[in-house]
Amino acid sequence: MRGILKNKPLIIMLIAILLLGILAFVTSADRSVSWIESTLGSVIQPVQSFAAKASNGIISFVQKVFKTSDADKELEQLQVRMAQLEQAADENAKLKAENERLKKLLNYVETLENYEYVTAVVTGNSQGVWFETFTINAGRNKGIEKDMPVVCAEGLIGRVIEVGANWSKATAIIDPSSEVSVMVERTRDIGVVRGSFSATSDNQLELYFLPSGFDLVPGDKIVTSGMSSIFPKTITVGTVSEVTRRSAEGSQSNAIIEPAVDFGHLEEVLVLVPKAAEE
Amino acid sequence: MRRLYIVVAMAVGLYLDSVFFAKVNISGIRPDVLMAMAASLGVLLGMKSGAIIGLCTGLIADILFSPRIGLSAMGYMFAGWIGGIFYQKYYADNIIIPALVALAGAIFKECVMAVVSALSGARFSFFAVLGTYIIPCALLSAAVCMLFHAIMRRALASQLKVERTYEHDSHAQGGVK
Repeated sequence: MRGILKNKPLIIMLIAILLLGILAFVTSADRSVSWIESTLGSVIQPVQSFAAKASNGIISFVQKVFKTSDADKELEQLQVRMAQLEQAADENAKLKAENERLKKLLNYVETLENYEYVTAVVTGNSQGVWFETFTINAGRNKGIEKDMPVVCAEGLIGRVIEVGANWSKATAIIDPSSEVSVMVERTRDIGVVRGSFSATSDNQLELYFLPSGFDLVPGDKIVTSGMSSIFPKTITVGTVSEVTRRSAEGSQSNAIIEPAVDFGHLEEVLVLVPKAAEE
Repeated sequence: MRRLYIVVAMAVGLYLDSVFFAKVNISGIRPDVLMAMAASLGVLLGMKSGAIIGLCTGLIADILFSPRIGLSAMGYMFAGWIGGIFYQKYYADNIIIPALVALAGAIFKECVMAVVSALSGARFSFFAVLGTYIIPCALLSAAVCMLFHAIMRRALASQLKVERTYEHDSHAQGGVK
């Protein structure tokens, strides 16, 4: 046994095999090629572009030393021009995407009459799956206070729980401790949505306390009811993905809700500041 | 210089844990880089330094990103302290010991989190979470700890050498007296 423990390559190999086994097990359940490609791309792309830039510098230096003919010089100039244009195109695409995101946010904000808004960027997330908290780069300096709602163009994200000088912490509605008073948009039935714990990245909400004889079908849109003092009315929360229980009794949830917001990819958010509070 | 390396390591660990691995993970499974760092530095620098570094890092992480301050700090301090038990007892290039410490520390921290989360009202099957989340995450943390330890051992090599030579000389002088 000691011999095995001292054999580092074997241990590393066993751990690598174990990790690959776990990876295979995890990916076998919900394998999505585009997701893996997307993740790999997002991981590799910055490294790749850095490496490409570094290698391009070395290559161009070598070419400058060895290439002397007019055709080579012309080719070199064209290549430089092409690289510049590609860089400009990349930059334009990035700006266009950002512009579209911000335009969507702005259009959304125009629908909220009694609220001003503060735009903020998500700067960090809590570790692990136990708590769904994130930090944004706006705080007291922008007029943010505790319990202000945090939204994005897709819908409700959560509420501010801590405010610093230039940062705030907010808890997402998918946090197991979170509760939001909601309404089924089609039937106007009132209920409560709670965050549901998940050890994976599948974020879901549970809908409770619908009145007896409620009418609910998958695809129904769930919005905030406006009955709490925190969240304004009719902000999108999500859609019903599964009706789990038809009766209104007991502690079991009535339905599973798919949140409207993609909590794994939050970038810019809006903190809603009531107009009265601002004055 | 040693402090600079530690501060840089802490900054990188914080970035990876709160930004990078929050977006890049395998169905929520991700390594705990700060745990790996605390375990490794405990083994390299001793119980006291390990525990203090773990505590400070954990507190910073808690204050910046967690709704409950002190939970992560507890886990990282524990890992730094446990790592310190193995200080100078094994060759510094042994990467298995810090990895095992990170593994134990990660399991301990996640179990503490699970208890707190359950007490906060979250409903889950502990053994299911243990198998599908806690153990895979702890294994990834251990793997990251191996890499981190190899880097930090090289970065701190000259510093540790000077320190140990000084300690050796002090002991020798004390013996003469």
